[in-house]
Amino acid sequence: MLKQEIAQAVIAEALKTGGDFAEIFLEDRQNNNVSMLSGKVESVNSRRLHGAGVRVFHGFQGVYVYTNDTSMEGLMQCARRAASAIRGADKIAAKGLAWQDTPSIHAIKERPDQVKTARKVEKMKAAQAILKEAPEIVQGSINYMDSVQRVWIANSEGLFTGDTRVYTRFSVSAIASNGTENQTGGENPGAMQGFEIFDSRIDPEACAKTAAKRAVTMLHAPVCPAGVMPVVIDSGFGGVIFHEACGHSLEATAVAVGNSEFCGKLGQKIAADCVTAIDDGTIPNEWGSLNIDDEGTPTTKLVLIENGILKNYMIDKLNARRMQMPITGSGRRQGYMFAPTSRMRNTYIAAGNDENEEMISTMGDGLYAKKMGGGSVTPTTGKFNFAVAEGYLVKDGKIQHPVRGASLIGRGSEILLKIDRVGKDMQMAQGMCGSISGSIPTNVGQPMIRVSSMTVGGR
Amino acid sequence: MNADQFIQALLDEARKQGMQSAEIYLNSTDSFRAMCVKGDITNYTVYATRGLSLRGLYQGKMGYAATEAFDEDAVGSLVEAVKESAILTEDEDIQEIYPGDGEYPKIDNYSPALDQVEEKKKLQLIQDIEKKALAMDERITALNYNMISTASSETRIVNRIFSGSDAPGLDLRYRDNMAVCFVSATAKEGDRVSTGSGFKATRDFDELDAEQIAREAVDEALFMLKAAPVPSGSYRAIIDAKCMPDLLGVFSGVFSAESAQKGLSLLAGKEGETIASEIVTLMDDPLLPGGLGSQPFDAEGVATRTKAVIEKGRLTTLLHNLKTARKAGVKTTGNAARAGYAGAVNVSPSNFYFAPGERTPEQLMQDMKNGLVITEVSGLHAGANPISGDFSLIAQGYTVKDGRKDQPVEQITVAGNFYQLLKNIRAVGSDLCFPGSSVGSPSVDVGEIAVAGK
Repeated sequence: MLKQEIAQAVIAEALKTGGDFAEIFLEDRQNNNVSMLSGKVESVNSRRLHGAGVRVFHGFQGVYVYTNDTSMEGLMQCARRAASAIRGADKIAAKGLAWQDTPSIHAIKERPDQVKTARKVEKMKAAQAILKEAPEIVQGSINYMDSVQRVWIANSEGLFTGDTRVYTRFSVSAIASNGTENQTGGENPGAMQGFEIFDSRIDPEACAKTAAKRAVTMLHAPVCPAGVMPVVIDSGFGGVIFHEACGHSLEATAVAVGNSEFCGKLGQKIAADCVTAIDDGTIPNEWGSLNIDDEGTPTTKLVLIENGILKNYMIDKLNARRMQMPITGSGRRQGYMFAPTSRMRNTYIAAGNDENEEMISTMGDGLYAKKMGGGSVTPTTGKFNFAVAEGYLVKDGKIQHPVRGASLIGRGSEILLKIDRVGKDMQMAQGMCGSISGSIPTNVGQPMIRVSSMTVGGR
Repeated sequence: MNADQFIQALLDEARKQGMQSAEIYLNSTDSFRAMCVKGDITNYTVYATRGLSLRGLYQGKMGYAATEAFDEDAVGSLVEAVKESAILTEDEDIQEIYPGDGEYPKIDNYSPALDQVEEKKKLQLIQDIEKKALAMDERITALNYNMISTASSETRIVNRIFSGSDAPGLDLRYRDNMAVCFVSATAKEGDRVSTGSGFKATRDFDELDAEQIAREAVDEALFMLKAAPVPSGSYRAIIDAKCMPDLLGVFSGVFSAESAQKGLSLLAGKEGETIASEIVTLMDDPLLPGGLGSQPFDAEGVATRTKAVIEKGRLTTLLHNLKTARKAGVKTTGNAARAGYAGAVNVSPSNFYFAPGERTPEQLMQDMKNGLVITEVSGLHAGANPISGDFSLIAQGYTVKDGRKDQPVEQITVAGNFYQLLKNIRAVGSDLCFPGSSVGSPSVDVGEIAVAGK
């Protein structure tokens, strides 16, 4: 843990060369992983991460120094190294620190780091039993992971606080094969929750059934035809397109340096009227939720787009200086090895007024993307390309048959304007989001939506 | 606790808790990194990190756990975690903690002077590089990447075998450091945009010459401004010494006995057979002076040695650790490796390279007369399949006409099969180069290669 007098001394040392803001972040984290391949426990790994980082600002300049040596000497040395890179004219004094408890909005019943590994293996074996019986499934890979991250944050503005973040996640991947070709299906649910997650959110057998069914369905699917057509994207992981193609472009990391197609568009219409998009760190027990961000700011519910109008960007402390706008509780980092920056939390398109059945029955000929896969985006232009993990061809408003190899191609700013239906049932799904401050848990989400026309890649 | 106290406490606890053996693998690194963009220093990051993994046999099986905190709590919980890991892991292969070798090679890859270089001097270097590069030609519009980094690290292995042995156990240390400078320049002319890179890795900071690094990046960027694809077809080709290591690196896993035993390498069972042209000798040399993969002992504490993996076209051995060697009934080659301090023990080459020949790259071009020199390939993770050996990669380079460098080429793909390429090699140059990693190569004349262009 971080002692107050040490934090105070480190901050004072860090400001000695004229820095105008200093911060110390200390982390102690226990990660546990179990992996199983074809029914055999392949590895049981536990790893305790422990370290601290000192950050100093001078104007727009940020310097970051980190270490595993969290003794008084180790931290003071970090502060001196950071200060040595700053040349400021005016010296400011740090405010006195006063500890502030962080009330938690995320109830944890059973800390996963205190659960015997054998109980975790039992959950994995339950999923494996389903995969073993599933026809055409030739290999199954199952992973369990939990993580308990404790953080302490203090800065020259007098902030001194901390938090404990508990995560549990389960993933199943099934490979179906007919001898010449392989198709994969996967499920990866998780939450900011303890081992009690298996009493509510995660049913290992249901995960395995879904994964196996998807792999087998796609194995027998014909190839998707290419063309421009209406596309219905289902709830849950479908939200990955908004996350990648629009969400990243609304982070200060991109906006502050002019590297986003949404720069200077606050108050302007950037999406269809039926689109409201939210980045919410406050939802109890969700995968991307927090109590405080990694700069110690209480997390928020932030409306990004309201009825088509751009309302907010996600902003961290350093970029707030460049943009001359307030911070939004969005400063995040993987851990002490990274300086924080603006990142997403649980980002979703909010529920609308449309009926799912009507969306499909009135779409004519098109594609129904039931589950999205991975993809990539060029941030400067917003151009994206996503694989459809499970897709169905629609003819005359009726779902015909599954198709494989489909991809969705477009630009973030264009697709937002072409959304013409937003369903009522918003669902979220979990992912790990990678960016300059490392890999962090985030939720994507949306109800079923329809895009009036989209380029579908296929053959 | 300091590292020594913590290690001793762990060994004591491991013995007390009934472990048969214990090994501590410790890595400590001090590093500095900064970039320079438009005169401003950005991404200024300094760190001093250490991490430790405990591994050992319990009830005949190997368990693992890792920590970065060296405190009282970690001692008990780490040993407990190793025991649990050993009990639950379902691996039938026999594993062991190594009692040690009588002698270890000496390798001098540490420069105390490099650790003393002031940060001011490092920042000055990248600021100079940017200034010089921009002044070299008005078509150079920016450096899109301009980084200096230095790292100094120590690896230590301490082990004890508790049951049936009075051996004192190992305490091995190896220290090395390195400075790396990497620059990428952007050139613009009309609506044409191209990039070129400059790179240098050294233990002697004074060898980092701003003018030379900037010149390398600028020349390549300017040369590539006029680049265009060539027509599709089969071409005679040389893969140059900056590019060949990337290709060899992607396929280096096929020489691992671990891959072979898992059915992931077509070289399984091919020891003693001819798998390459007789010109080809492929070395694994952990003792190479200055090598980034140099090490006197491997990740299991086995003394390392230099060996030819392919000698004049014949596969002499695969690379082994203790587990794969036992399974194959051979002696380990000292190629146990771990990905970071917390990774499981696997197999990896040390300094891995095609032995150089006599002819210079210019002479190779003269011998080839007409064809292509490939200087860069990208998309290695998607476009190269280490299991089948097939590759299809986006490439750039230049044409060779009448034995001389001619026109720049880009936006082509080169396709082939690594196993076939080994057999097709016609000549190996004298210009052995390790571009920023432990995998190296001279320029290699690979015979005919399939090119998709315009």
